[in-house]
Amino acid sequence: MDADSDVALDILITNVVCVFRTRCHLNLRKIALEGANVIYKRDVGKVLMKLRKPRITATIWSSGKVICTGATSEEEAKFGARRLARSLQKLGFQVIFTDFKVVNVLAVCNMPFEIRLPEFTKSNRPHASYEPELHPAVCYRIKTLRATLQIFSTGSITVTGPNVKAVASAVEQIYPFVFASRK
Amino acid sequence: MPGGRVCAACGCAEIEVDAARGDAVCTGCGSVLEDNIIVSEVQFVENSGGGGAGRSARAPGRGLQGSAGKTPTLGGGFHANLGKESRAQTLQNGKRQIHHLGNQLQLNQHCLDTAFNFFKMAVSKHLTRGRKMTHVIAACLYLVCRTEGTPHMLLDLSDLLQVNVYVLGKTFLLLARELCINAPAIDPCLYIPRFAHMLEFGDKNHEVSMTALRLLQRMKRDWMHTGRRPSGLCGAALLVAARMHDFRRTVKEVIRVVKVCESTLRKRLTEFEDTPTSQLTIDEFMKIDLEEECDPPSFTAGQKKLKIQQLEKALSKKLEDFEGEISSYQDEIEIELENSRPKAKGVFANFTKDDSIEDTTPGFPREEEADEELEAAANHLNKDFYNELHEKDGGEKREVGEYKNGNEALVRPPALESLLGPLPTAASLGITESIKECISTNYREPGENTGDGELDLSGIDDSEIDRYILNETEAQIKAELWMKENADYLKEQKEKEARIAKEKELGIYKEHKPKKSAKKREPIQASTAGEAIEKMLEQKKISSKINYNVLRDLNSKGSNTPKKEDDSTDDSTNTKKLSRRKSIASRNIANPVNSVGKRLRPLISTQLAKKAATEEVTFPNAQAEASDVEKTAAVLVESGPVAYNPDEEVEEEEIEEDDDHCMSALQLMGGNGELGC
Repeated sequence: MDADSDVALDILITNVVCVFRTRCHLNLRKIALEGANVIYKRDVGKVLMKLRKPRITATIWSSGKVICTGATSEEEAKFGARRLARSLQKLGFQVIFTDFKVVNVLAVCNMPFEIRLPEFTKSNRPHASYEPELHPAVCYRIKTLRATLQIFSTGSITVTGPNVKAVASAVEQIYPFVFASRK
Repeated sequence: MPGGRVCAACGCAEIEVDAARGDAVCTGCGSVLEDNIIVSEVQFVENSGGGGAGRSARAPGRGLQGSAGKTPTLGGGFHANLGKESRAQTLQNGKRQIHHLGNQLQLNQHCLDTAFNFFKMAVSKHLTRGRKMTHVIAACLYLVCRTEGTPHMLLDLSDLLQVNVYVLGKTFLLLARELCINAPAIDPCLYIPRFAHMLEFGDKNHEVSMTALRLLQRMKRDWMHTGRRPSGLCGAALLVAARMHDFRRTVKEVIRVVKVCESTLRKRLTEFEDTPTSQLTIDEFMKIDLEEECDPPSFTAGQKKLKIQQLEKALSKKLEDFEGEISSYQDEIEIELENSRPKAKGVFANFTKDDSIEDTTPGFPREEEADEELEAAANHLNKDFYNELHEKDGGEKREVGEYKNGNEALVRPPALESLLGPLPTAASLGITESIKECISTNYREPGENTGDGELDLSGIDDSEIDRYILNETEAQIKAELWMKENADYLKEQKEKEARIAKEKELGIYKEHKPKKSAKKREPIQASTAGEAIEKMLEQKKISSKINYNVLRDLNSKGSNTPKKEDDSTDDSTNTKKLSRRKSIASRNIANPVNSVGKRLRPLISTQLAKKAATEEVTFPNAQAEASDVEKTAAVLVESGPVAYNPDEEVEEEEIEEDDDHCMSALQLMGGNGELGC
């Protein structure tokens, strides 16, 4: 039963955040002046560079650390990161692409039924926390996977985790609980 | 009970009462007769309501508590407690704030006490670090409200404190999680009486409340309340209830009481309108309860969207289908025209099985060729290859193309379809392209990982990246634009630099370095525990009532004198507990006695928790009363050989004052010691 429903459920990855290092000091001013698609935030000391092909936004610091957000899959994230490094290379910096790591993955999933949130919170006490005054969803944390799920009463679930696998297994884990509290 | 008139030990009538410390000490023998004297004075203390309350009996401030003084209650209400432990101060401060806030919320004493307990737990788990005290206090109070079920909202607390509700909420959630306290979910029904009271329904208050409650329950069953702020629902229910009982309450009035936005209230009302219950008349509503339950409004909205999307999809599908049909007719015609190979059917048969492209039926050369071509397709990225395929056995491919829907990845047919047919095949072409990319990325990956960070350029289109780099004129324009945009910030920076330069000239430039959190003290280098303690006390200077210089001198003579530390040594039979203000006194006693050669009872000081303020002094007897010394040495916590130099002591003797009393005391002791030994 669970396996069937997993197949039926489609988990849409909406955002993948990754980091990498260029191992060289970057002159933000130069990037800002010569890049065509950059925003220079001098007060915080970073440059935002947006790529079109894999639609990603990268935050570049002068230390050489780069954070890349907006990709829709892990492969795309890596691809975009490499493109970015390539464009930095073209600008004249001695860029070395190291320490690539996917830091966060955000996915959305829809259950075919509604969920009773107060009931769900009661039966999942330590993990689930629900404050209707603050946020309309139940926040369920899975410590072992380091994943957080936001469960809405309409049955839509937003999952964030360190990688795509964790996200998938988090959804699998939560399914029986959510099914128990369905409308 | 010598209320200070005659000392029990020595019979001396000269008793000194120190009001500040609350002690009564005999000036003859130095024994403490009374501790914690209750002073009958009237003291005005401000209570949490801001009013004053007179306290008629108090224990004077225990400013000299040592680390043993964990009880913060003594002398509470004072501000001028010196030397009180930080922890005690924090708790006291917290308690005061809790009472202050709690009274504003009209919480009863039990709630306030529970809140204080939560606060104590939070402090012990270091949850107050890095957070504003007020936030933590508010969170504790709200936790109590939740567990007790009082009709207080987080919004109320944030109103009182003028703090963002979400910030408070974050602190509250953290506190609940850390303390493992499960706050029961909030029920909007709890708020009804409170809001009803505020809306002033007069006599009919109760009836209106009941109606509103029923409405709320109905809303719950209709799934309107999940994920919504309880106050919004309450507002809507009360508004309708009021109207039902002929009370003219406008939306604005309700909003002011309930603290939600007008649009929220309207939305709730509209949602309720959508439920079938809204169609009932007032009487009917009171009597009947509809059985069916509704879906939550956001769900229905979502469903509507889905339906529209599905409709659109269906429409576009139909279009595609038609086009597909046309193209398939085309194909069939062409096939029948060109079809000459009977064995082609075999190909069909093979393809109707799932993904049997790999299966090679013996004696079917076409299949093998297909295999080769397939592999070649997998390896090459070149589009021209498709043209080659097309040129070859076009007929066969087309046939196979019809079965494209049955087959999955790595299939040639879709590629050909794209060259032949219109729209639908373009999609399949797109698929194959991305599939190719996936395959090639797989090949790329291992190569990159094994490299030492060198950038793998395959797949990166350099020309496209070149477009990302501006040429000179563009760069100039951009620089100008940026300067204009960030003019303010740049101005600020310039001013700051100018200011710094000026200050430097004048020589008053202060480097504002980030504050170092703690004073870094040098680690104390000492050979004995006693020395270490002495040095530490020198640095710290805990109490103002001890003459450290004198103590230091004493210590330099070579004996250990713990001033305020817990010296939990066992009482040996030789000990006699002395309390002294100035430990010098006892020191001096030793001297003449020593010189006289009397047998001294070594005095070991023990600090008892109850006699916190009393100071006791150790000075082991260095004279070779072997057994005694060894015994006491064994008992002493602070070991350390002590050299007791009688000569130096004699010198000191002259300097010191208080001789007479001390003399007599020690003489007494000497006498008693023999007895008490």
